[in-house]
Amino acid sequence: MSVWEIVELARHQDRPYSLDYIRRLAPDFIELHGDRLSADDPALVGGIGTWHDRTTLFLGHQKGRSLKERVARNWGMMHPEGYRKALRLAHHAAKFGFPIVSLIDTPGAYPGAGAEERGIAAAIARAIMEWFEISVPIVAAVIGEGGSGGALGMGVADRVIMLENSIYSVASPEAAASIVWRDNSRKVEAAEQLQLTSREIVAMGVVEEVVREPHGSASTDYDAAAKALDEALWRYMQPLLEQTPSQLMQHRYDRFRYIDSLVQAEPHFGPKID
Amino acid sequence: MAIIERHHEEVAIQGGELPQILLPTNCPGCGIGLAGDELRANNYVCINCGHHFRLGADVWIQLMADGGSWQERWADVRSHDLLNWTVPKRYQETVETLLEEGLNEAVRTGTCTLAGRPIWLATFDFGFVGGTLSIVAGERLARGMEQATSTGVPYVLVSASGGARMQEGVLALMQLAKVNAAVGKMNAAGVPYFSILTDPTFGGTAASLALLGDINIAEPGAAIGFTGPRVIKQATYADLPAGFQSAEFQLAHGQVDMVVPRNELRPLLAHLLEMYP
Repeated sequence: MSVWEIVELARHQDRPYSLDYIRRLAPDFIELHGDRLSADDPALVGGIGTWHDRTTLFLGHQKGRSLKERVARNWGMMHPEGYRKALRLAHHAAKFGFPIVSLIDTPGAYPGAGAEERGIAAAIARAIMEWFEISVPIVAAVIGEGGSGGALGMGVADRVIMLENSIYSVASPEAAASIVWRDNSRKVEAAEQLQLTSREIVAMGVVEEVVREPHGSASTDYDAAAKALDEALWRYMQPLLEQTPSQLMQHRYDRFRYIDSLVQAEPHFGPKID
Repeated sequence: MAIIERHHEEVAIQGGELPQILLPTNCPGCGIGLAGDELRANNYVCINCGHHFRLGADVWIQLMADGGSWQERWADVRSHDLLNWTVPKRYQETVETLLEEGLNEAVRTGTCTLAGRPIWLATFDFGFVGGTLSIVAGERLARGMEQATSTGVPYVLVSASGGARMQEGVLALMQLAKVNAAVGKMNAAGVPYFSILTDPTFGGTAASLALLGDINIAEPGAAIGFTGPRVIKQATYADLPAGFQSAEFQLAHGQVDMVVPRNELRPLLAHLLEMYP
Protein backbone atom coordinates (compact mmCIF):
# COMPACT_ATOMS: atom_id res chain seq x y z
CA MET A 1 0.00 0.00 0.00
CA SER A 2 1.30 3.49 -0.80
CA VAL A 3 1.61 6.14 1.90
CA TRP A 4 -1.23 8.10 0.34
CA GLU A 5 -3.48 5.05 0.35
CA ILE A 6 -2.85 4.73 4.10
CA VAL A 7 -3.74 8.41 4.55
CA GLU A 8 -6.99 7.82 2.67
CA LEU A 9 -7.72 4.72 4.72
CA ALA A 10 -7.06 6.60 7.97
CA ARG A 11 -9.60 9.23 6.87
CA HIS A 12 -12.15 6.85 5.35
CA GLN A 13 -15.74 7.57 6.30
CA ASP A 14 -16.48 3.87 6.81
CA ARG A 15 -13.73 3.62 9.38
CA PRO A 16 -14.93 3.12 12.96
CA TYR A 17 -15.03 6.39 14.89
CA SER A 18 -14.56 6.97 18.62
CA LEU A 19 -18.16 6.22 19.60
CA ASP A 20 -18.10 2.98 17.57
CA TYR A 21 -15.22 1.81 19.73
CA ILE A 22 -16.35 3.29 23.05
CA ARG A 23 -19.81 1.64 22.84
CA ARG A 24 -18.13 -1.72 22.19
CA LEU A 25 -15.56 -1.29 24.97
CA ALA A 26 -18.13 -0.06 27.49
CA PRO A 27 -21.74 -0.82 26.54
CA ASP A 28 -22.98 1.16 29.57
CA PHE A 29 -21.22 4.34 28.36
CA ILE A 30 -22.83 7.55 29.64
CA GLU A 31 -21.86 10.70 27.78
CA LEU A 32 -21.05 13.83 29.80
CA HIS A 33 -21.22 17.24 28.22
CA GLY A 34 -19.82 20.72 28.46
CA ASP A 35 -16.77 22.72 29.51
CA ARG A 36 -18.66 24.47 32.38
CA LEU A 37 -17.58 27.81 30.93
CA SER A 38 -19.61 28.44 27.82
CA ALA A 39 -20.19 25.50 25.51
CA ASP A 40 -20.15 21.83 24.64
CA ASP A 41 -17.88 20.86 21.76
CA PRO A 42 -19.46 18.03 19.74
CA ALA A 43 -16.13 17.28 18.02
CA LEU A 44 -14.97 15.72 21.30
CA VAL A 45 -17.05 13.16 23.14
CA GLY A 46 -16.43 12.31 26.76
CA GLY A 47 -18.08 10.17 29.36
CA ILE A 48 -17.87 7.29 31.75
CA GLY A 49 -18.31 3.57 31.18
CA THR A 50 -17.46 0.28 32.85
CA TRP A 51 -14.40 -1.22 31.24
CA HIS A 52 -12.81 -4.39 32.63
CA ASP A 53 -14.95 -4.02 35.78
CA ARG A 54 -13.79 -0.50 36.47
CA THR A 55 -15.35 2.90 35.88
CA THR A 56 -13.27 4.54 33.17
CA LEU A 57 -13.32 7.96 31.54
CA PHE A 58 -13.47 7.76 27.76
CA LEU A 59 -12.57 10.71 25.59
CA GLY A 60 -12.46 10.78 21.82
CA HIS A 61 -12.55 13.00 18.78
CA GLN A 62 -15.80 12.28 16.97
CA LYS A 63 -16.38 12.59 13.25
CA GLY A 64 -19.70 12.24 11.47
CA ARG A 65 -20.70 10.04 8.51
CA SER A 66 -23.57 11.87 6.81
CA LEU A 67 -22.99 15.43 5.69
CA LYS A 68 -25.34 16.64 8.42
CA GLU A 69 -23.42 14.69 11.06
CA ARG A 70 -20.08 15.83 9.76
CA VAL A 71 -21.13 19.45 10.00
CA ALA A 72 -22.51 18.89 13.51
CA ARG A 73 -19.24 17.22 14.58
CA ASN A 74 -17.19 19.82 12.71
CA TRP A 75 -15.24 17.00 11.00
CA GLY A 76 -13.73 16.10 14.36
CA MET A 77 -11.94 19.44 14.63
CA MET A 78 -12.10 20.78 18.16
CA HIS A 79 -12.68 24.35 19.27
CA PRO A 80 -11.09 25.73 22.47
CA GLU A 81 -14.18 24.61 24.41
CA GLY A 82 -13.39 21.00 23.51
CA TYR A 83 -9.97 21.09 25.18
CA ARG A 84 -11.51 22.76 28.23
CA LYS A 85 -14.19 20.04 28.37
CA ALA A 86 -11.54 17.31 28.06
CA LEU A 87 -9.52 18.72 30.95
CA ARG A 88 -12.61 19.28 33.07
CA LEU A 89 -13.44 15.60 32.63
CA ALA A 90 -9.83 14.57 33.24
CA HIS A 91 -9.86 16.38 36.60
CA HIS A 92 -13.21 14.69 37.30
CA ALA A 93 -11.60 11.29 36.60
CA ALA A 94 -8.61 12.14 38.81
CA LYS A 95 -10.97 13.08 41.67
CA PHE A 96 -12.56 9.62 41.59
CA GLY A 97 -9.48 7.64 40.57
CA PHE A 98 -10.95 6.60 37.20
CA PRO A 99 -8.38 5.63 34.55
CA ILE A 100 -8.62 7.50 31.24
CA VAL A 101 -8.78 6.19 27.68
CA SER A 102 -8.32 8.83 24.98
CA LEU A 103 -9.04 8.08 21.32
CA ILE A 104 -7.46 10.37 18.75
CA ASP A 105 -9.04 10.98 15.37
CA THR A 106 -8.78 14.53 14.10
CA PRO A 107 -7.41 16.38 11.07
CA GLY A 108 -6.35 19.08 13.57
CA ALA A 109 -7.82 21.79 15.74
CA TYR A 110 -10.38 23.96 13.95
CA PRO A 111 -8.61 26.53 11.73
CA GLY A 112 -11.28 29.20 11.92
CA ALA A 113 -11.63 32.79 13.08
CA GLY A 114 -13.94 31.95 16.00
CA ALA A 115 -11.47 29.43 17.41
CA GLU A 116 -8.73 32.05 17.20
CA GLU A 117 -10.89 34.67 18.92
CA ARG A 118 -11.60 32.30 21.80
CA GLY A 119 -7.96 31.34 22.29
CA ILE A 120 -7.39 28.00 20.55
CA ALA A 121 -3.59 28.27 20.88
CA ALA A 122 -3.72 28.86 24.63
CA ALA A 123 -6.42 26.19 25.07
CA ILE A 124 -4.17 23.57 23.43
CA ALA A 125 -1.09 24.83 25.28
CA ARG A 126 -2.86 24.62 28.62
CA ALA A 127 -4.33 21.20 27.85
CA ILE A 128 -0.93 19.76 26.91
CA MET A 129 0.54 21.14 30.13
CA GLU A 130 -2.34 20.04 32.37
CA TRP A 131 -2.33 16.43 31.15
CA PHE A 132 0.95 16.11 33.04
CA GLU A 133 -0.85 16.99 36.29
CA ILE A 134 -3.58 14.34 36.01
CA SER A 135 -2.85 11.75 38.69
CA VAL A 136 -4.61 8.73 37.12
CA PRO A 137 -3.38 6.37 34.36
CA ILE A 138 -3.98 7.55 30.79
CA VAL A 139 -3.71 5.38 27.69
CA ALA A 140 -4.26 7.02 24.30
CA ALA A 141 -4.79 5.44 20.91
CA VAL A 142 -4.63 7.04 17.49
CA ILE A 143 -7.53 5.36 15.69
CA GLY A 144 -7.58 7.39 12.45
CA GLU A 145 -6.02 10.78 11.94
CA GLY A 146 -3.57 12.16 14.48
CA GLY A 147 -3.35 15.70 13.16
CA SER A 148 -0.96 18.20 14.69
CA GLY A 149 -1.45 20.10 17.94
CA GLY A 150 -5.15 19.29 17.77
CA ALA A 151 -4.25 15.62 18.28
CA LEU A 152 -1.44 16.14 20.79
CA GLY A 153 -3.84 18.23 22.88
CA MET A 154 -5.61 14.90 23.54
CA GLY A 155 -2.51 12.73 23.27
CA VAL A 156 -0.39 13.33 26.36
CA ALA A 157 -0.66 9.93 28.02
CA ASP A 158 1.34 7.29 29.87
CA ARG A 159 1.15 5.00 26.86
CA VAL A 160 0.19 5.82 23.28
CA ILE A 161 -0.66 3.21 20.67
CA MET A 162 -1.74 3.45 17.04
CA LEU A 163 -4.03 1.38 14.89
CA GLU A 164 -2.26 -0.07 11.87
CA ASN A 165 -3.88 2.19 9.27
CA SER A 166 -3.83 5.38 11.28
CA ILE A 167 -1.49 8.34 10.84
CA TYR A 168 0.17 10.76 13.25
CA SER A 169 1.72 13.93 11.93
CA VAL A 170 3.13 17.34 12.84
CA ALA A 171 0.64 18.79 10.33
CA SER A 172 -1.81 17.35 7.82
CA PRO A 173 -0.13 16.56 4.50
CA GLU A 174 -2.11 19.43 2.95
CA ALA A 175 -0.94 21.91 5.59
CA ALA A 176 2.66 20.67 5.38
CA ALA A 177 2.61 21.07 1.58
CA SER A 178 1.18 24.54 2.01
CA ILE A 179 3.92 25.44 4.48
CA VAL A 180 6.88 23.89 2.65
CA TRP A 181 5.88 24.54 -0.99
CA ARG A 182 3.06 27.08 -0.55
CA ASP A 183 1.04 24.62 -2.60
CA ASN A 184 -1.32 22.23 -0.85
CA SER A 185 -1.81 20.13 -3.99
CA ARG A 186 1.59 18.55 -3.27
CA LYS A 187 0.04 16.66 -0.36
CA VAL A 188 1.13 13.22 -1.63
CA GLU A 189 4.80 14.21 -1.64
CA ALA A 190 4.40 15.84 1.76
CA ALA A 191 2.78 12.69 3.19
CA GLU A 192 5.73 10.63 1.96
CA GLN A 193 8.27 13.01 3.51
CA LEU A 194 6.50 13.36 6.85
CA GLN A 195 6.83 9.69 7.85
CA LEU A 196 3.36 9.66 9.34
CA THR A 197 2.37 6.00 9.05
CA SER A 198 2.07 3.84 12.16
CA ARG A 199 5.13 1.75 11.23
CA GLU A 200 7.28 4.86 10.85
CA ILE A 201 5.98 6.46 14.04
CA VAL A 202 6.61 3.35 16.15
CA ALA A 203 10.12 3.11 14.69
CA MET A 204 10.80 6.66 15.94
CA GLY A 205 9.81 5.61 19.45
CA VAL A 206 6.88 8.03 19.62
CA VAL A 207 4.24 5.33 20.23
CA GLU A 208 4.54 2.04 22.08
CA GLU A 209 2.78 -0.28 19.67
CA VAL A 210 0.98 -0.66 16.37
CA VAL A 211 -2.28 -2.58 16.76
CA ARG A 212 -3.08 -4.90 13.86
CA GLU A 213 -6.41 -4.23 12.17
CA PRO A 214 -8.69 -6.95 10.79
CA HIS A 215 -7.75 -8.09 7.30
CA GLY A 216 -8.70 -5.35 4.86
CA SER A 217 -8.68 -2.61 7.57
CA ALA A 218 -10.83 -1.68 10.57
CA SER A 219 -13.73 -0.57 8.38
CA THR A 220 -14.49 -4.16 7.31
CA ASP A 221 -15.16 -5.48 10.82
CA TYR A 222 -15.92 -3.04 13.63
CA ASP A 223 -16.25 -5.76 16.26
CA ALA A 224 -12.89 -7.32 15.46
CA ALA A 225 -11.22 -3.89 15.34
CA ALA A 226 -12.72 -2.97 18.70
CA LYS A 227 -11.60 -6.30 20.19
CA ALA A 228 -8.01 -5.76 19.03
CA LEU A 229 -8.03 -2.20 20.37
CA ASP A 230 -9.56 -3.32 23.67
CA GLU A 231 -6.92 -6.01 24.14
CA ALA A 232 -4.03 -3.62 23.50
CA LEU A 233 -5.45 -0.76 25.61
CA TRP A 234 -6.05 -3.06 28.56
CA ARG A 235 -2.63 -4.70 28.24
CA TYR A 236 -1.06 -1.23 28.65
CA MET A 237 -3.54 0.01 31.23
CA GLN A 238 -3.23 -2.92 33.66
CA PRO A 239 0.35 -2.32 34.88
CA LEU A 240 -0.33 1.44 35.12
CA LEU A 241 -3.08 0.79 37.67
CA GLU A 242 -0.39 -0.54 40.03
CA GLN A 243 1.60 2.70 39.98
CA THR A 244 1.30 5.46 42.57
CA PRO A 245 0.20 8.91 41.30
CA SER A 246 3.69 10.33 41.77
CA GLN A 247 5.26 7.42 39.86
CA LEU A 248 2.74 7.88 37.06
CA MET A 249 3.39 11.57 36.73
CA GLN A 250 7.18 11.21 36.89
CA HIS A 251 7.12 8.51 34.20
CA ARG A 252 4.77 10.56 32.05
CA TYR A 253 7.16 13.50 32.29
CA ASP A 254 10.11 11.29 31.37
CA ARG A 255 8.21 9.67 28.49
CA PHE A 256 7.84 13.01 26.72
CA ARG A 257 11.06 14.57 28.01
CA TYR A 258 13.13 11.85 26.36
CA ILE A 259 10.73 10.90 23.56
CA ASP A 260 13.37 11.85 21.00
CA SER A 261 16.16 9.91 22.71
CA LEU A 262 16.35 7.41 19.85
CA VAL A 263 17.50 10.15 17.52
CA GLN A 264 19.46 11.98 20.18
CA ALA A 265 21.58 8.87 20.59
CA GLU A 266 22.90 9.40 17.07
CA PRO A 267 26.30 11.05 16.69
CA HIS A 268 25.25 14.36 15.09
CA PHE A 269 23.19 15.27 18.08
CA GLY A 270 24.97 16.99 20.92
CA PRO A 271 25.68 15.66 24.38
CA LYS A 272 22.61 14.63 26.31
CA ILE A 273 23.80 16.24 29.52
CA ASP A 274 26.65 18.64 30.02
CA MET B 1 5.64 54.73 32.14
CA ALA B 2 6.85 55.59 35.59
CA ILE B 3 8.64 52.28 35.66
CA ILE B 4 10.99 53.54 32.97
CA GLU B 5 12.20 56.42 35.08
CA ARG B 6 12.67 54.26 38.14
CA HIS B 7 14.77 51.85 36.17
CA HIS B 8 16.64 54.40 34.13
CA GLU B 9 19.97 53.19 35.47
CA GLU B 10 19.23 49.59 34.61
CA VAL B 11 18.35 50.60 31.08
CA ALA B 12 21.70 52.30 30.79
CA ILE B 13 23.69 49.18 31.58
CA GLN B 14 22.34 47.37 28.53
CA GLY B 15 25.03 45.77 26.41
CA GLY B 16 26.03 48.67 24.13
CA GLU B 17 25.42 48.94 20.39
CA LEU B 18 23.13 46.37 18.86
CA PRO B 19 24.35 44.25 15.94
CA GLN B 20 23.47 45.45 12.42
CA ILE B 21 20.49 43.77 10.79
CA LEU B 22 19.38 43.62 7.19
CA LEU B 23 16.85 46.37 6.61
CA PRO B 24 14.58 47.36 3.74
CA THR B 25 15.16 50.84 2.33
CA ASN B 26 11.75 52.01 3.50
CA CYS B 27 9.75 51.31 6.63
CA PRO B 28 7.02 48.70 5.97
CA GLY B 29 4.87 50.54 8.52
CA CYS B 30 4.89 54.10 7.18
CA GLY B 31 7.09 54.09 4.08
CA ILE B 32 9.68 56.66 5.18
CA GLY B 33 13.29 56.15 4.18
CA LEU B 34 15.21 54.42 6.92
CA ALA B 35 18.41 55.66 8.50
CA GLY B 36 20.11 52.50 9.77
CA ASP B 37 22.12 53.97 12.66
CA GLU B 38 19.22 56.01 13.97
CA LEU B 39 16.96 52.96 13.83
CA ARG B 40 19.52 50.80 15.56
CA ALA B 41 19.92 53.36 18.34
CA ASN B 42 16.14 53.14 18.79
CA ASN B 43 16.26 49.32 19.21
CA TYR B 44 15.01 48.83 15.64
CA VAL B 45 11.72 50.58 16.22
CA CYS B 46 10.73 53.08 13.50
CA ILE B 47 11.11 56.59 14.87
CA ASN B 48 8.26 57.83 12.71
CA CYS B 49 5.52 55.19 13.12
CA GLY B 50 6.71 52.81 15.83
CA HIS B 51 6.93 49.78 13.52
CA HIS B 52 8.84 47.04 15.33
CA PHE B 53 11.34 45.29 13.06
CA ARG B 54 11.91 41.57 13.50
CA LEU B 55 15.15 40.79 15.32
CA GLY B 56 17.35 37.70 15.35
CA ALA B 57 18.44 35.89 18.49
CA ASP B 58 21.82 37.69 18.55
CA VAL B 59 20.10 41.09 18.71
CA TRP B 60 17.60 39.97 21.35
CA ILE B 61 20.36 38.59 23.54
CA GLN B 62 22.20 41.89 23.38
CA LEU B 63 18.98 43.80 23.94
CA MET B 64 18.08 41.87 27.10
CA ALA B 65 21.36 40.89 28.74
CA ASP B 66 23.53 43.24 30.78
CA GLY B 67 26.83 43.83 28.97
CA GLY B 68 29.19 40.88 29.30
CA SER B 69 26.77 38.76 31.33
CA TRP B 70 25.55 36.38 28.59
CA GLN B 71 26.65 32.79 28.95
CA GLU B 72 25.24 30.62 26.21
CA ARG B 73 24.45 26.98 26.96
CA TRP B 74 24.20 23.90 24.81
CA ALA B 75 25.21 25.79 21.67
CA ASP B 76 26.79 22.59 20.34
CA VAL B 77 23.54 20.63 20.21
CA ARG B 78 22.83 20.22 16.51
CA SER B 79 19.97 19.36 14.19
CA HIS B 80 20.30 16.62 11.67
CA ASP B 81 18.06 15.06 9.08
CA LEU B 82 15.92 12.42 10.74
CA LEU B 83 13.34 11.78 8.08
CA ASN B 84 15.56 11.80 5.04
CA TRP B 85 13.81 14.97 3.90
CA THR B 86 14.83 15.75 0.33
CA VAL B 87 12.28 18.05 -1.31
CA PRO B 88 12.33 20.86 -2.26
CA LYS B 89 15.80 20.85 -0.70
CA ARG B 90 17.71 18.40 1.47
CA TYR B 91 16.99 19.32 5.08
CA GLN B 92 20.57 18.54 6.10
CA GLU B 93 21.78 21.07 3.53
CA THR B 94 19.31 23.71 4.75
CA VAL B 95 20.56 23.33 8.31
CA GLU B 96 24.24 23.32 7.36
CA THR B 97 23.89 26.44 5.19
CA LEU B 98 22.22 28.33 8.04
CA LEU B 99 24.90 27.24 10.48
CA GLU B 100 27.58 28.49 8.07
CA GLU B 101 25.73 31.81 7.89
CA GLY B 102 26.27 32.13 11.63
CA LEU B 103 22.81 31.21 12.89
CA ASN B 104 22.63 28.54 15.57
CA GLU B 105 19.22 26.90 15.46
CA ALA B 106 15.77 28.35 16.04
CA VAL B 107 16.27 28.71 19.79
CA ARG B 108 19.32 29.88 21.70
CA THR B 109 19.44 29.81 25.45
CA GLY B 110 21.68 30.68 28.35
CA THR B 111 22.03 32.66 31.52
CA CYS B 112 22.63 36.38 31.97
CA THR B 113 21.71 39.21 34.24
CA LEU B 114 19.05 41.81 33.50
CA ALA B 115 19.51 44.97 35.55
CA GLY B 116 21.84 42.96 37.76
CA ARG B 117 19.40 40.12 38.41
CA PRO B 118 20.16 36.61 37.13
CA ILE B 119 17.74 35.15 34.58
CA TRP B 120 17.49 32.26 32.18
CA LEU B 121 16.96 33.69 28.72
CA ALA B 122 15.76 31.80 25.64
CA THR B 123 15.14 33.49 22.33
CA PHE B 124 13.74 32.13 19.11
CA ASP B 125 15.43 33.09 15.84
CA PHE B 126 12.96 33.51 12.99
CA GLY B 127 15.85 33.42 10.51
CA PHE B 128 16.47 29.73 11.20
CA VAL B 129 13.80 27.79 9.25
CA GLY B 130 11.16 30.30 10.35
CA GLY B 131 12.06 29.97 14.01
CA THR B 132 10.47 26.55 13.98
CA LEU B 133 10.35 24.39 17.07
CA SER B 134 12.72 21.49 16.43
CA ILE B 135 14.21 18.76 18.58
CA VAL B 136 17.25 20.94 19.29
CA ALA B 137 15.06 23.94 20.10
CA GLY B 138 12.88 21.84 22.40
CA GLU B 139 15.91 20.30 24.05
CA ARG B 140 17.52 23.69 24.75
CA LEU B 141 14.24 25.06 26.11
CA ALA B 142 13.52 22.06 28.33
CA ARG B 143 17.05 21.91 29.73
CA GLY B 144 16.98 25.61 30.56
CA MET B 145 13.59 25.33 32.24
CA GLU B 146 14.77 22.35 34.27
CA GLN B 147 17.79 24.36 35.41
CA ALA B 148 15.55 27.34 36.24
CA THR B 149 13.35 24.95 38.23
CA SER B 150 16.22 23.57 40.28
CA THR B 151 17.87 26.95 40.90
CA GLY B 152 14.76 29.15 41.18
CA VAL B 153 16.12 31.63 38.62
CA PRO B 154 13.35 33.45 36.66
CA TYR B 155 12.83 32.35 33.05
CA VAL B 156 12.43 34.84 30.19
CA LEU B 157 11.40 33.75 26.70
CA VAL B 158 11.37 35.79 23.50
CA SER B 159 9.37 34.04 20.80
CA ALA B 160 9.30 34.54 17.01
CA SER B 161 8.26 31.34 15.35
CA GLY B 162 6.14 29.81 12.63
CA GLY B 163 5.37 26.75 14.77
CA ALA B 164 6.69 23.21 14.74
CA ARG B 165 9.29 22.25 12.11
CA MET B 166 7.77 20.17 9.30
CA GLN B 167 11.11 18.61 8.38
CA GLU B 168 11.34 16.87 11.76
CA GLY B 169 7.86 15.40 11.50
CA VAL B 170 6.01 14.09 14.52
CA LEU B 171 9.14 14.40 16.66
CA ALA B 172 8.88 18.19 16.24
CA LEU B 173 5.26 17.96 17.38
CA MET B 174 6.37 16.05 20.48
CA GLN B 175 8.47 19.06 21.51
CA LEU B 176 5.23 20.83 22.48
CA ALA B 177 4.66 18.20 25.15
CA LYS B 178 8.30 18.20 26.19
CA VAL B 179 8.49 21.96 26.77
CA ASN B 180 5.01 22.28 28.29
CA ALA B 181 5.86 19.58 30.81
CA ALA B 182 8.93 21.62 31.72
CA VAL B 183 6.80 24.77 32.11
CA GLY B 184 4.65 22.73 34.50
CA LYS B 185 7.77 21.95 36.56
CA MET B 186 8.57 25.67 36.80
CA ASN B 187 4.99 26.33 37.92
CA ALA B 188 5.21 23.67 40.62
CA ALA B 189 8.50 25.15 41.85
CA GLY B 190 7.20 28.74 41.83
CA VAL B 191 9.68 29.97 39.23
CA PRO B 192 8.53 33.20 37.53
CA TYR B 193 8.17 32.84 33.76
CA PHE B 194 7.88 35.96 31.58
CA SER B 195 6.96 35.30 27.97
CA ILE B 196 7.58 37.99 25.35
CA LEU B 197 5.73 37.39 22.10
CA THR B 198 7.15 39.07 19.02
CA ASP B 199 6.23 39.06 15.36
CA PRO B 200 5.29 36.37 14.38
CA THR B 201 4.34 33.72 16.94
CA PHE B 202 2.16 30.97 15.49
CA GLY B 203 1.27 27.30 15.41
CA GLY B 204 2.94 24.90 17.79
CA THR B 205 4.93 27.65 19.49
CA ALA B 206 1.80 29.66 20.32
CA ALA B 207 0.07 26.40 21.28
CA SER B 208 2.81 25.55 23.73
CA LEU B 209 5.20 27.59 25.82
CA ALA B 210 4.70 31.08 24.33
CA LEU B 211 1.22 31.59 25.79
CA LEU B 212 1.94 29.84 29.10
CA GLY B 213 3.92 32.63 30.73
CA ASP B 214 2.99 33.82 34.20
CA ILE B 215 2.93 37.13 32.40
CA ASN B 216 2.53 37.26 28.62
CA ILE B 217 3.90 40.43 27.04
CA ALA B 218 3.41 41.15 23.33
CA GLU B 219 5.21 43.65 21.13
CA PRO B 220 2.97 46.19 19.38
CA GLY B 221 1.66 44.97 16.04
CA ALA B 222 3.06 41.45 16.44
CA ALA B 223 1.01 38.76 14.67
CA ILE B 224 0.10 36.04 17.18
CA GLY B 225 -2.22 33.10 16.63
CA PHE B 226 -2.57 29.39 16.04
CA THR B 227 -3.51 29.05 12.37
CA GLY B 228 -2.02 31.57 9.95
CA PRO B 229 -4.42 33.92 8.10
CA ARG B 230 -3.69 32.30 4.70
CA VAL B 231 -4.72 28.87 5.96
CA ILE B 232 -7.83 30.23 7.73
CA LYS B 233 -8.96 31.84 4.47
CA GLN B 234 -8.28 28.63 2.53
CA ALA B 235 -10.14 26.51 5.06
CA THR B 236 -13.16 28.68 5.83
CA TYR B 237 -13.42 31.20 2.95
CA ALA B 238 -13.89 33.84 5.64
CA ASP B 239 -12.74 37.41 5.30
CA LEU B 240 -10.64 38.35 8.27
CA PRO B 241 -11.02 41.82 9.78
CA ALA B 242 -8.10 44.26 9.88
CA GLY B 243 -5.92 43.68 12.92
CA PHE B 244 -7.01 40.04 13.22
CA GLN B 245 -4.44 38.13 15.33
CA SER B 246 -2.47 41.28 16.15
CA ALA B 247 -0.98 41.74 19.62
CA GLU B 248 -3.76 44.25 20.32
CA PHE B 249 -6.38 41.68 19.19
CA GLN B 250 -4.87 39.11 21.56
CA LEU B 251 -4.94 41.66 24.39
CA ALA B 252 -8.62 42.33 23.70
CA HIS B 253 -9.30 38.57 23.65
CA GLY B 254 -7.59 37.92 26.95
CA GLN B 255 -4.53 36.04 25.69
CA VAL B 256 -1.79 38.46 26.71
CA ASP B 257 -1.42 40.65 29.78
CA MET B 258 -0.06 43.67 27.99
CA VAL B 259 1.28 45.13 24.78
CA VAL B 260 4.58 46.85 25.48
CA PRO B 261 6.82 48.81 23.09
CA ARG B 262 10.32 47.37 22.76
CA ASN B 263 11.97 50.44 24.31
CA GLU B 264 10.03 49.89 27.53
CA LEU B 265 10.59 46.16 27.71
CA ARG B 266 13.86 46.09 29.61
CA PRO B 267 12.80 48.54 32.32
CA LEU B 268 9.52 46.65 32.67
CA LEU B 269 11.33 43.34 33.09
CA ALA B 270 13.76 44.91 35.54
CA HIS B 271 10.78 46.00 37.60
CA LEU B 272 9.01 42.64 37.33
CA LEU B 273 12.15 40.79 38.42
CA GLU B 274 12.12 43.00 41.50
CA MET B 275 8.46 42.18 42.17
CA TYR B 276 8.82 38.41 41.61
CA PRO B 277 12.05 37.69 43.47
